[in-house]
Amino acid sequence: MPVSALRTTSTAQNGVGAFILQCKRLDFHYCDKWGSSKGMNTFLRSPLMASFAKAHPQITIHISPRPNTHPIVRGSYINGREKVICVRNLEKEQILQKVELLRDANGEKVTRVRGGRVVGSLNEGVRGLWDPFHGVKKGRLDEILGGMGVSNKGV
Amino acid sequence: MKGLHLLRWSGSVLSPRTRPCCFIHKYPSQYRPQPFNILLRFQSSAAVPIRTISEPEDDTEPQNPAHYTLLPSPPPSRALSSARLSALHARLVLPPRLPLESLARCLVDPSADTNPNFNNASLSILGYDLLGYYTSEAIVCRYPRLPTEVTFAAMSAYCGSKTLAAVTREWGVEVAAAPGGEVDPGVLQCTRQEAGNASVNGTGTQFKDLPKVAEDPSTRPNPEQQRRGWSRGATSKTVYDDDFGDEIERTETDYAERPELRQEDAQRKAKRGVTLEVASAGFVRALMGAVYLHAGKRAAYNFFKAHILSRHLDVSKLFEFRQPTRDLSKLCAREGFESPVARILSETGRKSRHPVFVVGVFAGKDKLGEGSGGSLDEARIRAAIGALKGWYLYSPLEVRVPSEATEGKPWEPVLVDGGEVFV
Repeated sequence: MPVSALRTTSTAQNGVGAFILQCKRLDFHYCDKWGSSKGMNTFLRSPLMASFAKAHPQITIHISPRPNTHPIVRGSYINGREKVICVRNLEKEQILQKVELLRDANGEKVTRVRGGRVVGSLNEGVRGLWDPFHGVKKGRLDEILGGMGVSNKGV
Repeated sequence: MKGLHLLRWSGSVLSPRTRPCCFIHKYPSQYRPQPFNILLRFQSSAAVPIRTISEPEDDTEPQNPAHYTLLPSPPPSRALSSARLSALHARLVLPPRLPLESLARCLVDPSADTNPNFNNASLSILGYDLLGYYTSEAIVCRYPRLPTEVTFAAMSAYCGSKTLAAVTREWGVEVAAAPGGEVDPGVLQCTRQEAGNASVNGTGTQFKDLPKVAEDPSTRPNPEQQRRGWSRGATSKTVYDDDFGDEIERTETDYAERPELRQEDAQRKAKRGVTLEVASAGFVRALMGAVYLHAGKRAAYNFFKAHILSRHLDVSKLFEFRQPTRDLSKLCAREGFESPVARILSETGRKSRHPVFVVGVFAGKDKLGEGSGGSLDEARIRAAIGALKGWYLYSPLEVRVPSEATEGKPWEPVLVDGGEVFV
């Protein structure tokens, strides 16, 4: 058998074809009694909440009471992780900012990307890696080919 | 190519489905707890107004939510009230013509619900063929000279069950712990295979330690040849095997057509559910089929491009050569080139601990490939591999695939290559 093949899987590139929003669920927890939930309760009743839910049909939204504690917003992500933000004593606009932060996160741990402008790519650079041993001088190639003339044509 | 009349073909999918009213008798094993109560209720005295539990004759919702447990999979009417399901619909940007009920049906594996009107078996067959067609035309037209084995590997990398299982995970589809009518329709319903290290009926022995059952029956016409150790060549794989060059396993559809096969197989091994990989792949294939049936060819192709073809695969990394220098000389002989000669282009440190040789493979005065290595042999082999990959990975500048042939522009034939070299 001249050639055999290695079995692999293709890797996802989210956003190259379809874009899948990584946040799949948001839980809003509020308390009816505590003053720290005041902003949260206003937010839940305000049109901000309704318009957010309408604009993001791909996120399931769960609202439930969590008595005698501070209000929180919890985001669940496709990679299985969760992100929780405590929104005690925040105004409704501030809460919306936190919710948008959860929506835009991908669920990974926040890590610092070092090295300035870092661009990740799966494709090889078209120029290839620089190599000190390549790029044969013209005279040398003539010598190798025995004076047949140079033609560096691939098939 | 003529357009197909979808509606004539897809009656069972697009029309309302009904469960036979004798379904409890048909699936006695799955409704064991509940029928016992029903019998008690029938036997109670007539002083109480007889409230029989109406068996769900069609998709209507049972009156008592507890009766959902009668069903092997969630009734289609509940699909509209599932937040998970509509979120999945929106997340995948599925065409609005694909109703939530169909999406819910795609999530029901045949291992969860054996009724073919409610599971995704039929959609999954259609989706398998569509995925295979679109992927194979994309690969074959883009790389016309790819060897058969590498084509199989590329097919499996794009739409094999391992990849489709990863796609299901990346779509955020969750799996039900156990299937049933009361489960949210937005989760994947399948009966999971027992883990190899699970204990058998509470005894200490593990499933993997059980005596091995006889080998699976082959779907090939001459299975005894394999037992004798005959090799399966690439040519026979294109004839007998599936899109990925793997042997075809018998499916529920085969059993439906020829029930005697099931008995035969059941004697060989007791089937205990499916793996998550198989169920996930069935879901993606069924969704592909459902998009095709509901929204048409264009939408199905767009769905395929967005979710399958846009994934990254480096085809040049799939090759595995045994004797590349021999292959290259055979290839040159076939194509009428001069026989390849390896020449040193440059070298450094021949007597040192880390020498580097750069070797080029020349056919006459044309350089076919170049490679570098720590020894002359290594560099020569790398150069030959480079030359072979240069040949096999030829890709035309403008790629058009046959499925686009129906759209206006006249079809121009694509390159059909003679195939790989045989040694």
